[in-house]
Amino acid sequence: MTFINNILKRLNYTQLPQRGEWKAFIFKLIDERVRIITAGLNLRELRAIMRGDPPTEKPNPRYKVITTSFVAHLRPRYYPQAATWFTHTFRLGFFVTFFFVVEVITGIVLMAYYVPYPDQAYGSVLAIESNVFFGELMRDIHRLGAEAMVAFSWLHLLRTYFTGSYKGPRSFTWLTGVILLAITAWLSFTGYLLPWDQLSYWAVTVGTSITESGPIVGPTLNLVMRGAPDIGAGGLLRFYLQHVILFPLLAILFISIHYYKVSREHSISLPAVVEELELPPDKKKEYNRRIDLIPDLLSHEIFLIALGTFVMLAILYFRLFHSPLETHANPQNTPLDTKAPWYFWWLQGILKIDPANILENLLNPILQPLLGLFGIEFTLELSKLLDSKFIMGLIVPPVLVVILAFLPYIDKNPSRLSSKRPFAIAWGISWIFIMLALSYMGLPEYGIETPAATRVIQDLAPEEGEGPLREIPYAELEHAHGVYTVGEDYGRDLCPGLAYQPDHDKPDEVVIGCPHLTAVFNQFSERLRVAEEDGRLPDLVARIVVEQFQPGMVRVTPQVEWSDPETGEAKAYEHTYFLHENRVLGSH
Amino acid sequence: MKRVQLEIVLGTIFVLLSAAIVIILGIREPQRLADYVLQQRGRQIEFGAAVFQNNCTECHGSQGQGITGIAPSLRDEHFFTERLDEIGWGSTLEDYIVSVVTTGRQVSTRPQYVGGGTPAMPTWSERFGGPLRDDQIRAVAAFIMNFEQYALGQLPTPVPIGPVVDESTPEGRGQALFTQAGCVACHTIQGISTATVGPALDGLANRAGSIVSGMSAEEYIHESIVDPNAHIVSGYSPDVMPQNFAEILTEDQINDLVAFLMVRTQ
Repeated sequence: MTFINNILKRLNYTQLPQRGEWKAFIFKLIDERVRIITAGLNLRELRAIMRGDPPTEKPNPRYKVITTSFVAHLRPRYYPQAATWFTHTFRLGFFVTFFFVVEVITGIVLMAYYVPYPDQAYGSVLAIESNVFFGELMRDIHRLGAEAMVAFSWLHLLRTYFTGSYKGPRSFTWLTGVILLAITAWLSFTGYLLPWDQLSYWAVTVGTSITESGPIVGPTLNLVMRGAPDIGAGGLLRFYLQHVILFPLLAILFISIHYYKVSREHSISLPAVVEELELPPDKKKEYNRRIDLIPDLLSHEIFLIALGTFVMLAILYFRLFHSPLETHANPQNTPLDTKAPWYFWWLQGILKIDPANILENLLNPILQPLLGLFGIEFTLELSKLLDSKFIMGLIVPPVLVVILAFLPYIDKNPSRLSSKRPFAIAWGISWIFIMLALSYMGLPEYGIETPAATRVIQDLAPEEGEGPLREIPYAELEHAHGVYTVGEDYGRDLCPGLAYQPDHDKPDEVVIGCPHLTAVFNQFSERLRVAEEDGRLPDLVARIVVEQFQPGMVRVTPQVEWSDPETGEAKAYEHTYFLHENRVLGSH
Repeated sequence: MKRVQLEIVLGTIFVLLSAAIVIILGIREPQRLADYVLQQRGRQIEFGAAVFQNNCTECHGSQGQGITGIAPSLRDEHFFTERLDEIGWGSTLEDYIVSVVTTGRQVSTRPQYVGGGTPAMPTWSERFGGPLRDDQIRAVAAFIMNFEQYALGQLPTPVPIGPVVDESTPEGRGQALFTQAGCVACHTIQGISTATVGPALDGLANRAGSIVSGMSAEEYIHESIVDPNAHIVSGYSPDVMPQNFAEILTEDQINDLVAFLMVRTQ
């Protein structure tokens, strides 16, 4: 015993306790350790926190954690009660951070399987979906989290704008927030290319081509981004490195700055009604009551994490969201409808505006008669001077971002009450509508003319994704071979003699005829007939051919023949679709 | 109930539900993975069919049935049962297809299929200057492998509908024959084929009557089918076009073809 005591003495420990004092001794030992690990909370205090009791000592040991612990020192000690109103913040910033963490975790898992090289990228994504346990789940969460992060960043920005929280001392926080929005969008966009499918390849090709129109450095910048005149191995690697290293690090840096400003310097803004209105003292006192980080804010955050996790999993469980994977990228084949991710539709919409054209149309009717008085014939032509891709792609969006970033320095109105800033509120609401309108203009349906026959067939079975034609069950097509000509009367169903079981596990369920094929055929006929009537497809002959092509695979060929309305030349368009019986097995 | 208590209850429920979802998904996961592999194979075959249609049909026929004198069938019993032994290939048939498509064939193993010394089969892989990516070649191989049940007679081979033509007229039957007999492999007809091995045949009806004096356009076209070397258009070589169409096709069929070519006046 003396031997052990000697060793303990050398280790700065007191003597071993006597019989009967062991319990208190061990408690004290554990208590000390706990206090070190929690950076200030002993066992009694922890117990009080769990029970919801007030602090056991003075000064409040719960605040000590925040001064001593590295992780906790990033957090505030408390927020005033009014700042924690749900309707004031909607927890939007918290959820952006939550999604960022989700992205980091799932991203690291995906990085273990993904190969950033054109020949193998698409295959590695397929392998993640087909050969990795929970691989599809990881990819879906990563994609869902990314889109949610962009959406919540925008909502967070709107909330801050409408509550006027960007004013005064928080203007720098707002600036870092706008930078974070740009970083988030860019993170999302760089991730877009990685699956190396048609969707990603063309979205990024179109996106980067904007820089090409820039003066002097434009082509060079484009070359630096793409790594070659066209996006290839170099471009993919560059986007990958930005996606997994550069921009996550930048995001962490700016999130830290942004959050530190909120948590340690200015706190969350109080609602304007609390800050600026005269309130009775008891209310004022209640609104400024401290809500401590430990345990109230923390328990609320844990609740939000549980909520967020559950909602994401539930969305995926009920298949309300699925990350798309189109066919392999093909530089030789530009898809008919190139579509940017939804958060860039507004940009795509802006690009469809041609300022030169608008100015010409506005000024020419005034200028021409005016100059005509002096006998001068003059038509204003601006399209050579004003390159619309350059102006709308490279000038307007950065100017908008700069205006947004410096909003607090532009808006000098000191009041945050919405009643005292009607102009700012109206401006904000109009911007929401402008963005929605631009986004609508960005859709491929807007302002792009496709030949009628191509459009009809493309709508039945788009190049990418499914569409009604591909959704016809194989069991139906397998027995519905034949040539179905538009204009002929087939009665209510194309194949009246057919009956099939859509699901082998449910023998009682029987479908009579081929309702899906009939619906597709009717839609095909109807759309073509409309086009024939309004003169786009004169002398129309159209049919859908369904034939067995291989074991377990049919070939469906919609064909359209017509005469050109202007030249009378005979024209034809057809597209073959091969549909295999296993194409919809499993998750798609 | 205080808000914090409600949050604790709800939070616990959310955590349990999340765990339940993960467990259910985990139980389903092996089945999902197996389904996904099958589904991917199905889509690979579809994709291969499209690649085949765009690149291979001119020589191997619209259904892979082969074209006499040009390229062999890819869906007969011989191909699926004896070809590997014949060539001495140690691996699978699918790998054999991938290998041949990737590098092409510089020398034919079956000279009856090549005409006039042209290379047997071009290289298709991007790696050797061809147009196809490796995944496209893999898909084509998957598509050809899917013919197996037809080739071995395990399933009855359906009659293909093919291009929809009016078979009641000689021109219509001739148009169908133009594809089936393999003319499309070498001759261009607007809207049907784009090959340039032989002369384009659109508008032949207009000039055929004046090429050989005393021979009508019909007679000239007929002779060119049964005896291709009788008149060679300048710029083209003799012995390229198969000499045996008189044996493969009946007299009626040849007349149908002539009728079809006679209406292509543009």
